[in-house]
Amino acid sequence: MSVDPMAYETQFFGFTPQTCMLRIYIAFQDYLFETMLVVEGVILKKLDDIPGCKISSSQIRKCTEKFLLFMKEHFDKLFAKMEEVLLQLVLNIPKNVLLPEDRVQEQYPCSKEEFQALQDELQQLRQQYRAEVALEQALLVELEEQKIVKAELEKTLQCFDELDNICREHGAGNFKESFAFLTQSCKKLQDVLKDVEEKSKKVKQHDQLM
Amino acid sequence: GDGGDGPAPAAAPGRAQVFSTVVDTFLEKLVTAGSYQRFANCYRCFYKLQPQLTRSIYDQFISQLQASIKEEIEEVKNEGNLEELFNSLDKIVEEAKDREEPAWRPSGIPEQDVRSALVPYLRKHRAHLRRALRHKEERNGRVAESVLMGRDSIAELQQLIQARQQAWQ
Repeated sequence: MSVDPMAYETQFFGFTPQTCMLRIYIAFQDYLFETMLVVEGVILKKLDDIPGCKISSSQIRKCTEKFLLFMKEHFDKLFAKMEEVLLQLVLNIPKNVLLPEDRVQEQYPCSKEEFQALQDELQQLRQQYRAEVALEQALLVELEEQKIVKAELEKTLQCFDELDNICREHGAGNFKESFAFLTQSCKKLQDVLKDVEEKSKKVKQHDQLM
Repeated sequence: GDGGDGPAPAAAPGRAQVFSTVVDTFLEKLVTAGSYQRFANCYRCFYKLQPQLTRSIYDQFISQLQASIKEEIEEVKNEGNLEELFNSLDKIVEEAKDREEPAWRPSGIPEQDVRSALVPYLRKHRAHLRRALRHKEERNGRVAESVLMGRDSIAELQQLIQARQQAWQ
């Protein structure tokens, strides 16, 4: 029969029941021996006070040993019985009893796989959250940029509006068309200029060859 | 006969009580074994000389032994706070009296046993993260809408400007 380590009881009491019993056993035994020694001492002293006494101290020692041996035998038997009762009835926790500090074990039973799944889920949630935070940053940055771009565009539009207003004010309804016509003419002039340049280059080249 | 409830049966003695009783019984039986007759018999030579002294020495021996043993028990009880622990354990056992299946016991493997203690915290953490994630997603949804609308209005503006440019060509 294997020795029960009584670990759960040790958790509760703060000491091992068997160790407690051992301590008590040793203490009781010591007291028995000590008290017997005192008895022997007293008897020897009393013997000294009796004149002409024929009883030797070694005789008394033998008496003490006899009595002690007898006492020790009964002591061991009785203590063994006491220890058995205490370990079974007093210093024990019945198998069906769960200590309050361990209630979570029955409230939240969790296998290794379930626990791992829970941790994995948390990991994933953290990653998703970080992704959302990054997205939030990107969106806010774009919003800011949009504000700036919009402001610029609106300024440009405003310029056009002002131009229109000026045209209207100076009654040059055809200003736009004239301006467009001018722009066209400029382009044509530029083209003509290019032509002339090219032609004069050719003439120069021809002259040089001659 | 007796129509109403009789007095409740005496409750089983608590651990503290059993402890005291068991120690007292031990002492009693020890003293009985170590009787005066036995003592006098062993110290016969002295008894023959001084019977009364033998008696008084024996009485002192017994009372000293009993006192030492009781004192040791008191010390053990105080050091271990046993009285309180016994009463507390009695209560815990009483509360579990209707339960038949064996209860959980430590496995000896800390990593295994700590799981159940952590589960409630992890679950709370998970709920918190889920909530926070949901809020972020909702907010980002709204901001994303603003961004899309912003892009639309910028495109509009660009178109307007292009039209004006054309008009001036």
